[in-house]
Formats: sequence, C-alpha cells, structure tokens
Amino acid sequence: MRTRLTRLWRWLTWTWSPASEREASTAIVENLWLHWFPAKVDEESFGWRYSFWLGAISAFLFLILTVTGILLMFFYVPSTDKAYWSIKDIDCVVGFGWLLRNQHRWAAHLMVLVVFLHMLRVFFTGAYRAQRAVNWLVGLVLLLLTLLLSFTGYLLPWDQLAFWAVTVGTNIAKEVPVFGESIRFVLLGGTEIGQSALVRFYVLHVVVLPAAVLVLFAYHMWRVRRDGGLAVTDPAAAPLPVASQTPPVEGKTYSLFGVTPGTSLETRAARPQGDGVAAASSPHLLRRLILVFLAVFTVTIILSLISGAPLEEAANPSLTPNPAKAPWYFLWLQELLAVTTIRYKQLTISGGLVGGILIPGVLLVAAAAWPFLDRTPLSTIGRWFPRERRAQNAVFALIAIAIAVLVLIGVLMRGPYWQLYWPWQAWPELPRRL
Amino acid sequence: MHRSFAPNRDFWPLLVASIASLIAVLVVAYREYTPEWHRQQEAFRRYLRTRGAFAAAAAVPDNVEQIWLPALDRVDRCISCHVNYDGSISTLPDLPPLYRPHPDLPYMAKHPFPTFGCTSCHGGQGYATDEAGAHGLVKHWDDPLLTTALAAQYGLARAQLMEIKCNTCHRPDDTTPGMDLINMGKEIFAKKRCVSCHGLEGGGGLGSSDLTYDGDNNPELLPFSAVEGEKTALNWQIQHFESPQKIVERSGMPNYRLNEEQAKALSLLMLSWRRISFPPQYVPAARKRPPAIQPVVREVPAPPPATGAPAEQGRYVFENRGCNTCHRVGGGPLIGPDLAGVTQRRDERWLATWLKDPAAVVAKDEKLQTWTHEFGDIIMPDQNLNDEEIKALIAYMRQFPG
Repeated sequence: MRTRLTRLWRWLTWTWSPASEREASTAIVENLWLHWFPAKVDEESFGWRYSFWLGAISAFLFLILTVTGILLMFFYVPSTDKAYWSIKDIDCVVGFGWLLRNQHRWAAHLMVLVVFLHMLRVFFTGAYRAQRAVNWLVGLVLLLLTLLLSFTGYLLPWDQLAFWAVTVGTNIAKEVPVFGESIRFVLLGGTEIGQSALVRFYVLHVVVLPAAVLVLFAYHMWRVRRDGGLAVTDPAAAPLPVASQTPPVEGKTYSLFGVTPGTSLETRAARPQGDGVAAASSPHLLRRLILVFLAVFTVTIILSLISGAPLEEAANPSLTPNPAKAPWYFLWLQELLAVTTIRYKQLTISGGLVGGILIPGVLLVAAAAWPFLDRTPLSTIGRWFPRERRAQNAVFALIAIAIAVLVLIGVLMRGPYWQLYWPWQAWPELPRRL
Repeated sequence: MHRSFAPNRDFWPLLVASIASLIAVLVVAYREYTPEWHRQQEAFRRYLRTRGAFAAAAAVPDNVEQIWLPALDRVDRCISCHVNYDGSISTLPDLPPLYRPHPDLPYMAKHPFPTFGCTSCHGGQGYATDEAGAHGLVKHWDDPLLTTALAAQYGLARAQLMEIKCNTCHRPDDTTPGMDLINMGKEIFAKKRCVSCHGLEGGGGLGSSDLTYDGDNNPELLPFSAVEGEKTALNWQIQHFESPQKIVERSGMPNYRLNEEQAKALSLLMLSWRRISFPPQYVPAARKRPPAIQPVVREVPAPPPATGAPAEQGRYVFENRGCNTCHRVGGGPLIGPDLAGVTQRRDERWLATWLKDPAAVVAKDEKLQTWTHEFGDIIMPDQNLNDEEIKALIAYMRQFPG
C-alpha cells in the first residue's frame, strides 16, 4: 500500500532524478528544446548575485511577449480607422484581452529595462573582454532591436499617446545629417504619420524585428557556450596543463576529440573545473530556469492587475497632447534635445542633432569600440567592480545614472507646456470640453 | 563523489513562486469572470424574482449585450447593464432607474435604438463595459455621458445640454422641435450677423475665426485666465458671449449684451459644431425658414426697399448689413470709429469709394493705415454694397452732425 502510494505520488508529481551522470547528460542532449544547454554547468554560473539572471529574464520576457503578441494579432487590425477601436475591444470584450494587452505592455517595458540592466552587468563584470567582444557587439544590436521593437509597438494602438510619441521619435530621426529626411520618409512611408506608417511599423513589429531578435538571440546563446560560459568561470577556464589532461572516459559526451587524448574546446567550455563543481543541467539548470520563468510570469501578471496599459483618445493629428512625450526610454534623448536647443532672440538652433543624434551616436560607437580599447588586465574578467577597472566603471556608471536621471525627469517631472514640476506637485488642470 | 547541488536547494523559492503564480492566475480568472455587467444582470434577475416576475427574470441575458451601429462605426454596450432599455424584459411599474425602460418620448419613433444606439444622443463611451468607462467619466474620453449633474454645473437641464448632440445631425435646421435653446442660438446667430466677421461652412466673413468646427477647437488653446469656475470650453463660451472683452483682452468681438440664457444658447450651438461624419441616411431633411433676411456676405445684395426717403433706406442698410456690428452713431467708437459727423469729416465722393472697396483705399493711404492701427488693424470688411445702397447710407449719415 505504502509503495503504491509512493508510486502514485511519484506519478502525480512527475519527479525525475537521473540515476547516473550519463542519464543526466543524455537527457539534455537528446531533447530538442534542451540540447543547446551544456550537459553540465558550473556552480558559479548559477549564483543569483553574479548575473542576476538578467539574460534569462529578458529571454522569458521575450517569450511572454511572443505568446501574448501572437494572441493579440488575432484581434488587432492595423488600419488607421480600425486600430484604435480594435484595441478598445481587446480591452473591453475580448476574453482575457485586457490581460493580454496589459501583460504585453508590461513585459515590453520590463524587457527594455532588463536588457539595459543586463548590459550594465556585463560591463561592470568585464564580461565583454577578449573572445566575448563579439557577443558584446551582438548584445548591443539586441539592445537596439529591443528598443526598436518597443518603439514600433508604441504606434500600434493609434491613440494620442502613440501618435505623438512616434511623432517626437521620428522627428529626432530627421536630425540625422544628410540622410535624416530620407530615413524618416522610409520609416513612415511618407512625410506624415498615416496608414503607410502604421503598416510599416506593424510588419516591423510582428515579423521583421522579432525574427531578427530570434536569430541574434540564438547566436548570442551559442556564443555564450563557445566563449566558455559565463565570465565568472573564467579563472578556472584557463587551458589545463598538458600533464593534467586525462584520457577520455567511456560514456562521456565528448566530441570527436574524445577518441584521442586531450580536451576539446567543448569539454572545457562545458565544465572547465572538471566534475567537482559542475552540476547536471537537468534537472538543476532547468529547475532554476522554471523558477525564473515563474517569477517573471507572476510579476508581469501582478503588474497587469495593478495597472493597465494606457489608451488615450484616438489619434488626432490636429490636436497635440500636452505634454507630448517620446516613449520613456527615449525621454533622456528628448531631455538632451530640450537642453541643447539654443534660443537666441528670434533664432532657434534645434538640439535635435546634438541631443538626438550626436550624443547617443557617440555613446553607441564608444560602447561598440570599448572591448578593443580596454587595456585592463584580463584577470579582472568575471568579477564585480574590480579595483583595476575602477575608473572606467565609474565613467560607465555615471553615464548610466545620467540616462536614468534624465528618463526619470522626463517621466515624472515634465508637465504641461514642458514645465518642470516636482513629483509631489500637482500638474495644473488642463481645460476640458465639458 | 561529485559535489553537486543539493537536489532540493530551490525547493522553497520554487514553492513560493508556484503558489504566487497560481494565486495571480486565480485573481485574473476572478476578474475576468465577474465583470460589472454580470453582477448587474444577476442583481436584476434577483430583483425580478423578488417581485414574482419569473418569466422576465429568465429573459435577462447573461452576456455582453450591444447595439452595433456599423453605419456610425460604433458599438453601444450600454445595454449590458441597462438590459431593459426597450422594456422588452419587464414593464413593471416603478422599476429602479437602472432597470427602467427608456421613456417613450415624442421623437423616439424617428430615432429608433437599432439606428441611433445610446451614445448618439446621451454621450458616453459605448465600447466600455464598466460603469466609469461607459459613462465616460474617465481620462482620455472627451465625450462624457450628459448627466443631470453635469448639466447642472452650467445651470442647464439635462435635455438642454443634450441639444448639443441633437445638433450633430440637425445642424442644417433653422429650428428643430424640442431643441429650444439651440434654436434660440441659431436665431441670435442669424440676427446678429455673426457671419459678417466669422467664416462658416465655406462662406462668411474673413474678419475673425472660422466657426464651422468651433466645437472641435482644443480647449487648451483658449485663454482661461479670466474665466470663473471650471476650465471647460462650455464655461469659456458662455462667459465669452456674456462679455468678450473680459475673457479675451482687446477682443474685436462686440459685446451684444446677451443675457445668460442667450449666451448659453449660443455656447451650446458652438460646441455642437464638430467634425463628425455620418452616412447620408442620418442627415434629416433640413427645416429651413423662408428667408426673411437675405444672406448678405458674398451674395448679390438685395436692393434696399423701394419705399421711403433715401435716408430711411440708409438706416435700413446700416442696421441690416452689419454696419452696426462695429459702428455707432454717437456714443463713441466700438470696433470701428463713431460715425457721427462722418459726412462733415470726409468728402462724400471719398466715402463712396471707401464703401465700395475699403481695402483698396487703405492700401493707398498711409495716414489711414496708421489710423487703422488704432483699431487693432481691422480693416473694414467689404460688404458688397451696391451704388444705391451707398448713396442711401451717405444720405442717412448726413442726418448726424458731429
């Protein structure tokens, strides 16, 4: 009876504990969905406090965005006449439509934030050095794609918020020297934001950009393994002295090299420190990923329950809302633009070029070039805030803080007529019709 | 032999995360399956059962109910809570307001529910399925439900405020039964010759703003500094009509000394003029008065009445062609100068050229340009007067020495 109950419990809870290391490894390799994990993962890579699992979190947010996004596509109509009202229907009468839209919105905001934080983490731990420079560049492109995905999605509700945020955003693009007008024209499919802009943004948002993210994400993940796992394991990843190389063990998942003496890149990448401190990906990595996913999923749902995605009045090109703001992650650019705009008597020199193009352009180029300019010792890789990297970490932190502060000012303190208000100060009431 | 993770190291975090996500999903399900309209329909069913109307209770739907108006590109889900709107469920006397059928008012026959829905007349947000949203008492919905309380803020009855909605379609009418206040507004609008200065529907004067879609103007662009009470476009309109110069400093609009009711009538008329498109079958046959007063601007002018002395004819022209909107004879300048003694100050032949084409005269005369500046650079509009009318006007002016 007792054994039966135990068996029933086992069956119900569907627990699986591999009987041997081989079974654990095979479980990973033989599974289509799991095979891109290494069979074993170093214990240090699991730590919460090294990576904060920010990459995994952004991947799960992307998953949530894909699922909710595909469901939303069944109800959304990308037409200037129907878009706004189809969103109203999604909010009001589509089954769980409010949840889909709120979750999609929150996951999108969080993804921008988490991808940015992931970049900070990689910089502060020096994990962009040496062979990881390529993945740093891929990551930068992924960051830009994330911003573009969010920005293209911003227009789709076709409400005042969407219309004017994209107006502000594409007007910044116009400030690019020489090609500015053309870039804006190609992006909008015309000189004004209308039907052609909506369709372009829609196709970019649901096909082109997600596909690009997917391809680059796969490459990003593959590179992580190729480059030797998380940088935190690097100190142990130094090539093993020849003397310590052991003959291959039967039944281990080595590559072709397994049949000859020596270790391959794969074996080193998979478990540089030998069996001692590595754990089988299944179930340990898997379980942790489930935990991270559950946490991300719950947080997006709770946020969706607390606060809904905004939907303002239907887009009206002849009525500018007050204040008209870019999406929050571009507000630091809008702030820079406002600050660098020079007014002298009648003459106004728009800050669009300096604040909107030059400053972010310089930051981007600097970020891309930095792995190749960085001369600090390689031994600092994989550690938070090492003393040797103090100067550059400080500069990087200052830039990040400046961006964060400007975004906060833009979000919380810019009121009607672009006036500054303290967050606790009430904005003046704007006139209504009735 | 090998150091590994304790198998259950993540047990507690996993348990907490699982329970938290389960609770979150349950809360989502609760919110999805207990919408406001569902509770309202339940309550109505219970109410009917307590009054013994079991058949009626069974007829109460358990759905989102809606009137779909494809012609108006709109859907009105008001009837999800106001399920008995057409009395098809219950006709019991003294039903609570929410369950009461719509009163059978005289114009209901011409405005049936399946064609007009609810929001065409009442305002509100037809798409929404919760009370606050549907009544439009939320941010970002500029067409709130026109309630008694809202009307009372302006000292109006609800039906009077709703005339704004009627006039969406009834705009071409001179008078429409039941739209007393806006009818009054239209009458004042015609009598005061507002189109002498204001543009309207492709015609009208060029001296001031175009009023064709005045109701669509962004309220934020109105000067509210002198407006008392809430900052709303309707309040602005009312107080501006009562005293234009108090609301807009140095406004060129004459103070017509309108009483409160007249000011409200005109204000409602202004707010009703919006760019709202609807299909032709919604356009009512316009009730036009026989033209008692000829339209004046950009039209071939009607000859002055043949009867009476030239001076008498001139008085008619002065009072009916918009001159007295800006000019007074004695009593000081208004928008334009006081005309008492004008025939002494000016050569009569000059006056005739002036009346023929004021802009041409000003263009040639620098002294006149400086003088026009004193009157806010408003050049007198060309009123399309014919020679006879001009002669009559001058004859009329001769009677007033400076």
